[in-house]
Amino acid sequence: MNLKRILRRSREDAELSQELGSHIQHEIDDNVARGMTPDEARRQAYIRLGNPLVIRERVWETNRIAVLEDLWRDLRYAVRTLTRAPGFTFVVVLVMALGIGANTSIFSFLDSLLLRSLPVSDPDSLVVLKWHAKSLHSSGQQDFVMESMSGGTDDDPKLGMTSGIFPYPAFELLEKDNAVFSDMFAYCRSREVRTLNVVIRGQAQIAGGELVSGGYFRGLGVVPAAGRMIARDDDRIGAPPVVVVSHAFGERYFGGSANGAGQPIVINGLPFTVVGVAPAEFFGVDPSTAPDIYLPMHTNVLLGAQIPFGFTSADYLGANYYWVEVMARLRPGVTLQQAQTALAPRFEQWVSTTAHNDAERANLPALSLQEGASGLDTLRRRYSKPMYLLMTLVGLILAIACSNVANLMLSRSASRKREIALRLSQGASRFRVIRQLLTESVLLSVAGGLVGVLLAVWGIRVLTAVLSEASHGSGLRADLDGRVLVLLVSLSLLSGVLFGLAPALQSAKLNLVTALKETQSTQARVRHSFWNARGTDVLVVGQIAISVVMLVAAGLFVRTLSNLQLVDLGFNRDNLLLFQLNARQSGHKDSEISGFYCELQERFASIPGVQAASLADTSLIEAGDGLPISVPGKQPNNDFRFFPVGPRFLTTMQIPLLAGRDFGDQDRPKSKAVAIVNEEFARISFPGENPIGRHLYMWKESELSRPWDDKNNIARDMEIVGLAKNANYGGVKQKIPPVVYLPYDQGYPEPAEMVFALRTSSYPLSFVSSVREIVHQMDPRLPVSEVRTQRAEIDASMHQEIMLAQLCSAFAALALTITCVGLYGTISYKVAQRTGEIGIRMALGALRGRVLWMVLREVFALVALGLAISIPVSLGTSKFVSSFLFGMKANDPLALTCAVVILVATALSAGGIPAKRAASVEPMSALRHE
Amino acid sequence: MGERKGTSSEMVQGTLEMLILRTLITGPAHGHTIAHVIEHGSEDVLEVEQGSLYPALHRIEHRGWVTSYWGTSENNRKAKFYKLTPAGKKQLTAETNRWRRVVAAIGRVMGEAAE
Repeated sequence: MNLKRILRRSREDAELSQELGSHIQHEIDDNVARGMTPDEARRQAYIRLGNPLVIRERVWETNRIAVLEDLWRDLRYAVRTLTRAPGFTFVVVLVMALGIGANTSIFSFLDSLLLRSLPVSDPDSLVVLKWHAKSLHSSGQQDFVMESMSGGTDDDPKLGMTSGIFPYPAFELLEKDNAVFSDMFAYCRSREVRTLNVVIRGQAQIAGGELVSGGYFRGLGVVPAAGRMIARDDDRIGAPPVVVVSHAFGERYFGGSANGAGQPIVINGLPFTVVGVAPAEFFGVDPSTAPDIYLPMHTNVLLGAQIPFGFTSADYLGANYYWVEVMARLRPGVTLQQAQTALAPRFEQWVSTTAHNDAERANLPALSLQEGASGLDTLRRRYSKPMYLLMTLVGLILAIACSNVANLMLSRSASRKREIALRLSQGASRFRVIRQLLTESVLLSVAGGLVGVLLAVWGIRVLTAVLSEASHGSGLRADLDGRVLVLLVSLSLLSGVLFGLAPALQSAKLNLVTALKETQSTQARVRHSFWNARGTDVLVVGQIAISVVMLVAAGLFVRTLSNLQLVDLGFNRDNLLLFQLNARQSGHKDSEISGFYCELQERFASIPGVQAASLADTSLIEAGDGLPISVPGKQPNNDFRFFPVGPRFLTTMQIPLLAGRDFGDQDRPKSKAVAIVNEEFARISFPGENPIGRHLYMWKESELSRPWDDKNNIARDMEIVGLAKNANYGGVKQKIPPVVYLPYDQGYPEPAEMVFALRTSSYPLSFVSSVREIVHQMDPRLPVSEVRTQRAEIDASMHQEIMLAQLCSAFAALALTITCVGLYGTISYKVAQRTGEIGIRMALGALRGRVLWMVLREVFALVALGLAISIPVSLGTSKFVSSFLFGMKANDPLALTCAVVILVATALSAGGIPAKRAASVEPMSALRHE
Repeated sequence: MGERKGTSSEMVQGTLEMLILRTLITGPAHGHTIAHVIEHGSEDVLEVEQGSLYPALHRIEHRGWVTSYWGTSENNRKAKFYKLTPAGKKQLTAETNRWRRVVAAIGRVMGEAAE
């Protein structure tokens, strides 16, 4: 019925004017009857009744559901107004869309990184077990109850050391008679399972595994997609070896996850049975890993037996060996705090019995429980800082965008003064005018929001590509989900109201008489008075300041990246193909592995176009192993690093030799043990002497006793045969340590997985198929994995820097663009307002150059003010990003100079266009324009 | 300019509506007559602000207290006549009672004060 009333409105209105007309007629009749002249009678009648238009308006107001109808009318009017100013509308919508789009895509990532819960049942009752101790770094303390470990700790000199790895006995202790947890389970991604050689129906591939305790799937409440999950009975020594595979793995290798259950599978040469397939949305407890295969915890004894330094069943008893990560589910009604209070003393008491001396007792790890709903924080640790940084930057962009739109609205409402004054004088209430203007701005921001959604979808795709490039598909996913969408919509509406309100209020405060009397030229004079111009100028100055700050940030990150790329690695990174082979995992025995690799190396080297081929324990970028190595007569130096390599390694990597020779075919397993040291090693160990011919000892690592002087513990007695120039070891950002290169096959430690390096004459990846063919001929069970170019590997190690440099540059460009649009708009507007004045000046003989300068002076003033604000701000805030920088200080003068130059140049060209237009005003046409 | 204030307070608005309903009890009338009847009836003490009359008429029409039709006036002009509905009669009774109570109450207060 109400809708009908709205539709009937024009008819009712016509009837009402008829009725009012009739009233006037009756009043006139009466007045004439009283003896007035017809004219006077009419005049008096109108005076009595008042303005019929206002009465009609008031009748409408009483008659309808005002809001809906007004909204519809306001909307239609707003659309009409906006389409009459397409340039304005386009710019505003674009600016809003850019701001909202950038914010939404970054927020989607933040959401998926920091806020989203694990896809398991009731994630809120999950807790992660951690411990905390005093920092070892800062105290230089060596003694700690964690005497050996497999996993990671986070040692911050200020915050202390935290970690989530525990000895297995601690897990068993806390699991027993536990009144606060309904389930408790452990998992671990140890060396034994990180990369598995998996053979399914005769086909070999590499898969990522995770060890899980028997209670893992039950504790997480995971419902299998097929078969069953790993149960307690599977997790003991001697149980039939079973695994659970991920949904994606089942789809890929078993032709559908439903077929997975019951299939045989060979892992590292050992037969297993797939008992079930995990559901599609399940990725384990760490969003960064997403394992393919879940193995019962105790299978690590089987797998460990196959590799050097592998896991043994004795490690399950080691009270000082930290390796399992633990999660638990709170019993209903138990809080995190209660659980903490119940378990911390138990752990404390147990851990104190594992200490061997007073130094260890003085710094015992203390148990601390954390919420587990969002899973483990590997990804969070890696990405949250850059994400917050990016969020700040896009927040600034949104600020610029909003202030820009507000600016445009202000200018526009100033030029609409007369229109608004006219509407007010016709009896429109101020409230209605404000509402109309608000409708326009909200409509604009909704349009901006919609385009922003499209931009966000695209932005998320680009960001995913940028972020996961090189992080080996780390499971970093982000979707535009409902929550983000709600945020987006409220963001756009809020900014609509915010940037619409100020101009609306301002225009509703008009003094009607002056506003209506204003012509363009008088308006210009009013406009030009100092305080009136303030509002838009302040906004422009603010935008310039923010742009400079963002340009400085972009400059810092771009310089960091280029510093990283210019680092002299000490070897040639171009035209180098790298890939992994693990002969041991596919069943080769130590005795023949060396010969097998040797033959592969020869065959790779004979591929046409391959100049040299060699192999090493790992790639130089990822290297970082230490074993006790000493110069005879001295203690082993903990800083010494070693690097097992194959023949002609230095030649292949093009690391220059300063003295002696490279390893060659004469360095066989049974021949004399040799070594090559780098300059740094020679500088520390043999200062001022020739290292060639000197000897080095490599010691067997033994946990319980460390008799460095017992010659029986010497694993290798090596003679130094070469001195190599320093080459990067362990990453581009690392300082080059003292390194000993040694043949991989001269005894302890035995080789496992090897990285082959091929120096090619052309694009390295074009040789991949020849490589695969050779490997397949040699051993079809042996998969080639992690094929990459050396350059790609280096880029991957710098992907955070690449990401920051790319995104920051993009954001800075965006901010600069928006600012220039704002500057251009403001200056153009001012020029348009002053066309008459300029015409008069020129008619009176002002030169074009003078007019040009008059306008440019304003641009300079705005830019100078912006710089005056932003330079101190940049200097003050850039220290917050110093942890992201490399090879430079936070207050880098070059970055700052570049930012200033870029800004001044673009601002002048943005302001220069309207300035030139002002200078080319024809005096006569400008004056006629009035 | 802008919004007119003052005439739209609820008391005055309600009172005007009551007066209109009272006027219509003697039979249908158009807006001009209604205004005159109220003014004459009050011996010109009450002056109906004509600008408020029509919004009030439309309001009570939408509440279903009166219906309207187009007819010919005593001056032989086309005019819109308003006629009381049963609901309007009931409303008038209620309003009148309420009014009497209020007047009596005010009278008591004023009377006491005078003594």
